[in-house]
Amino acid sequence: MNRLHQLAAHCEQDILKKQLPSGGWGFGENRQWATEPTCFALLALRLQPSSVYEPGVRLLLSCQNANGSWPVFADDDTEGSWVTGLAILTLMRLTTGWNAVDRGIGWLLKTQGRESHWMMRWRYRLLDRNVKFNPDKYGWPWMPGSSSWVVPTAYALIALRKYFACCIPKPVAERVRRGAEMLFDRACPGGGWNAGNGVAFGVPLTPHPDVTALALIALHPQNHHPLVRASLDWLLSQVAEVSSLYSLSWIGMALAAFGLPAWHVWEKLFRLHSEARTGQDCQALALTHLALYTGKGTNPF
Amino acid sequence: MAIPFELDRRKLLRNCLALGAGALTAAPFTVYRKPRSNRRHPVSRVAILSAESYSGKLEQLLMDGLSLFKLEVKRKKVLLKPNLVEFLPGKEVTTHPALVGAAAECFLRLGAKRVTVAEGSGHQRDTEELLVDTGLQDQLRQRRVEFVDLNRDDLTKIRLKSNYTGLGHLWLPNAVLDSDFVVSMPKVKTHHWAGVTLSLKNMFGIVPGMKYGWPKNLLHWRGINESIVDICATVPVDFVIADGIVAMEGNGPLHGSSRQLGALILADDPVAADATASRIMTLSPERLPHLREAARFLGNICRSDIQQLGVSIESVRQPFRVLSGFSSLVDSVCIHREC
Repeated sequence: MNRLHQLAAHCEQDILKKQLPSGGWGFGENRQWATEPTCFALLALRLQPSSVYEPGVRLLLSCQNANGSWPVFADDDTEGSWVTGLAILTLMRLTTGWNAVDRGIGWLLKTQGRESHWMMRWRYRLLDRNVKFNPDKYGWPWMPGSSSWVVPTAYALIALRKYFACCIPKPVAERVRRGAEMLFDRACPGGGWNAGNGVAFGVPLTPHPDVTALALIALHPQNHHPLVRASLDWLLSQVAEVSSLYSLSWIGMALAAFGLPAWHVWEKLFRLHSEARTGQDCQALALTHLALYTGKGTNPF
Repeated sequence: MAIPFELDRRKLLRNCLALGAGALTAAPFTVYRKPRSNRRHPVSRVAILSAESYSGKLEQLLMDGLSLFKLEVKRKKVLLKPNLVEFLPGKEVTTHPALVGAAAECFLRLGAKRVTVAEGSGHQRDTEELLVDTGLQDQLRQRRVEFVDLNRDDLTKIRLKSNYTGLGHLWLPNAVLDSDFVVSMPKVKTHHWAGVTLSLKNMFGIVPGMKYGWPKNLLHWRGINESIVDICATVPVDFVIADGIVAMEGNGPLHGSSRQLGALILADDPVAADATASRIMTLSPERLPHLREAARFLGNICRSDIQQLGVSIESVRQPFRVLSGFSSLVDSVCIHREC
């Protein structure tokens, strides 16, 4: 356990060293803050005194778009993006001022994949059959004007479930149900998730560990579903295969969320961190921290 | 004999929708969107180099090939853009790491101030894993060449120099915008949406995933052909090194079959490079919508406007299999005779 806390402390220190003057964090050595690494950095610093993460939270609150969504990065256009779910989850964890969260949830409930439009549903039923999916089962897009994909949908589902908790209104429950159905519909045939299609041009696609882990966390309430179990098995098989901190951390978070032992993931995380030749990316550090401290059977967000 | 004509409401609706969709697909290229500049050279140069494998001689072969072009790269910041769309074990999906490493070495030897390898993978969000799995990380570490993840670089909003997509602008990575000399390094492949993926389609990878998603789905909605032309009009490709040593045919860009082509294609014009690669694949470049449109202002498509260096097209030409939707691309005349 000592090693675990040492690595977590090392991650926290390095994350703080990489904080930008704006209060946010960028990818790698970037000078532009981006919402995704900022959210993960803040989540990793959640156990610190609030004065440590307060500047980052202030940035997150100040950059919210007028329509309730969040931009992807500094200076981004204002129409909204896939990071909105993640920003909501971060603020729910770190603040008590829920006005921003309420507005973010409002945007999520108004936003859906473009394939959900009736014209597009006809198009996919009659004309465009190359990618196998059911357009009646839709989730959330990377940005307005594009289709539903696994990552934005998973973040939105986790955020909505956490926000409404036990008291989920019927229309929201319907939206959540459709989103979960979309994830099942777009899964790879043997389990796991690619960016968002299971079969294209008649060929089954290969799952990715990070996307699979996130989708599994989003589908945790359906943890007995055969596809969820198959995906978990596939994810377990990837522990030995992956060599990046990023994917391994995602695997660790998902295994812990499902109450599975993650000690072999931690061992590999210790090794990869000790072998790292250069400074690690802020997001990889933050994900490592989350993987180490995700309690058995708990949602890392 | 009279053919009975039956049209029920369902067929009528289906036909109307098909007609509408066809019109929508064709519309962007039938409406003239005047580009702001014409980058066509009077004559473009394309060299085809025979190369049977990714062996240690690759660097010398490439150096000899580059010397045919008398490139001015001294003190320039060179950006190499390979195709790393996704790693699939046993599949020839990505530009071979040995070729990328050799190209980096050659440009350093030619006096480049800096060589950067950069890509924004279309499918895989874990770039570190992708670099390890493809073997590119080892190549770059050996040569101390920097890699930039274009999916997550700092971004600047850029007005498009043509507007086939109607987007008006794109956010593009600073690593690309700050470079002086962009080298597109595609894998020669057929493509299930665009017909082929060569030096022009390869530039899709400069569009950042963190803004536009994995894959860059907004561009698919705005039209793949239209997006290719807008991107390449806005970010000029200065040189092409296409990996056709082992290519891909059929259901590319991911699940096609390997095809031993044994050729590298070097060019100072991406349109001429892609036209030549298409001819080598026995596909008609004029029937590829993005290539035909790019030929109006980004480069040369006609053989008469292309100076051919190295070995001839005919000496390496092979008929490539394409998906049934692209059978019209196959130049059946060229399969049987020189053209």
